[in-house]
Amino acid sequence: MIIRSFLLLLALTLGAMTLPAPAFTADDGPVSGVVPGESLGSTSDADLWRAVRAGQSATISIPDREAAVLIQSEGENWRNIRNGPISTIGGWLLIGVIVLICLYFAIRGRIRIEGGRSGILIPRFTQMQRVGHWFVAALFILLGLTGLTLLYGRYGLPYLIGKEGFAILASASLQAHNLFGPLFMASLIVLFFTFLKGNIISRVDIVWMAKLGGFFGGHASSRFYNFGEKNWFWMSISLGLILSFSGILLNFPGLMEDRYIQQLAHISHAISALIFIAVGLGHIYLGVFGVEGAVEGMTTGAVDANWAKEHHDLWYEEVMAEKAAESGGE
Amino acid sequence: MTFLELTEGPLWYVALVVFTVGVVWNIFSILAMRVRNDSAQPRKSPVGGGIKAIFLHMVPHGGFFSRTAYHVIVGYLFHFGLFALMLFGAAHVAFIEKWTGLSWTAMPRWGLIVAAEIAFGGLILMWIRRWTDPITRKISDRDDHIGTGLTMLAMLTGCFALGESSDMLRAIHMLSVELLMLYFPFSRLMHAFTFIFSRYFMGAAYGKRGYVP
Repeated sequence: MIIRSFLLLLALTLGAMTLPAPAFTADDGPVSGVVPGESLGSTSDADLWRAVRAGQSATISIPDREAAVLIQSEGENWRNIRNGPISTIGGWLLIGVIVLICLYFAIRGRIRIEGGRSGILIPRFTQMQRVGHWFVAALFILLGLTGLTLLYGRYGLPYLIGKEGFAILASASLQAHNLFGPLFMASLIVLFFTFLKGNIISRVDIVWMAKLGGFFGGHASSRFYNFGEKNWFWMSISLGLILSFSGILLNFPGLMEDRYIQQLAHISHAISALIFIAVGLGHIYLGVFGVEGAVEGMTTGAVDANWAKEHHDLWYEEVMAEKAAESGGE
Repeated sequence: MTFLELTEGPLWYVALVVFTVGVVWNIFSILAMRVRNDSAQPRKSPVGGGIKAIFLHMVPHGGFFSRTAYHVIVGYLFHFGLFALMLFGAAHVAFIEKWTGLSWTAMPRWGLIVAAEIAFGGLILMWIRRWTDPITRKISDRDDHIGTGLTMLAMLTGCFALGESSDMLRAIHMLSVELLMLYFPFSRLMHAFTFIFSRYFMGAAYGKRGYVP
């Protein structure tokens, strides 16, 4: 009995396999939600899933509006921009700046104090200014290193320290980046108020710019800050503001109901940071290595008189005139 | 034995013993020092002067606050932030409970972050002052920078481990704290304990003469 039933079932199965398949063609795909053959009814889920994929919002009964969107379609665009142009162009920008600095150093060398050191020191930066500068600098380095690890680490570090090692490093970088961000905002406020005086653009700066700051030969006059320094100041403040504002949005995603804004915040954060770091590399080079005697203003607060005469001659004349007036009045 | 087990086991015991013995030995040495016998008639109580000095020097006083404001404010920011982190961070409370059985309410997460911001801000600003203020720079030596560096390292690795995502980060934090504990008794970090004795000594000496500066 069992054998007969089995044979019958086998015969029916084989017979069914020989039946012709429904004659659907490529043109019979789902159109406007209608399924060909109407085997599952007159409408299908195709339109529904198409809408879900397009990021259409549905009706939900919980307060979290974001939960009404099953697939946030712009996320794919954001991912492509982050891993595409931002990473690529940003990476080349940083490499390009480093190469330019090396080339400049190879051609021009370290810019020495032509007249040598006079031994006479002129006070340049106050203690408060130096603290403000190094506070920003310390946070800039911490945030820069952790940020670059998050953006570019995946392209090289897993090969050096393994995938797990990189995952640990990325987690550590993220925590540090999030923690130091608010401190950076506080430091920017200090920076703005301690360095604002003297950083307003004036006519002297146009001449300085026309002579390319004397970095390629010749002399360009400047007051307390030259045009390059002023640009760096305003760039730091404006990029710092973008980084701060976008950083707040990224650090507190609950502030926004729209994820799209978060993605824009991330993109603007990355672009601003890359520009900031690229220009910052130039600033570090010129401040620390490129120009003899420059860093002393920020470490000890005083610069050599000959350095002041060569790089900030108008300021030097002002200082000397003040000194002369003081000694004349005594 | 994993790296975490090593840092939470043998290395932790070594660090704890060196720290405890070193601190106790230092304090004992101070207390055992003979104070020169002063047979002059005291004008006021030296004990009162000593106690007064301990508390008086916790707040800025006298006519030069503007000159000391920076390190008073920044110093308090760092120390309060650090103590809040050490004693009320949830992970630290759990650690203390594991070893002592004692427990208390931990800070919420946002409190931990605020305390960490304050502590880091304070420490960075204090360290910058050591490098940039000409006088402080002159009187700072290797010990000051090593002590500050190890404190910064312990805080930084603690910050890295905030996500509690990896045993490795926790182990690195433990190791950095152990390095700090090993260095502590042999450095000026001992001021965390000895400030009371030094203030009391000064206060008592002056208090006996009837005036505590």
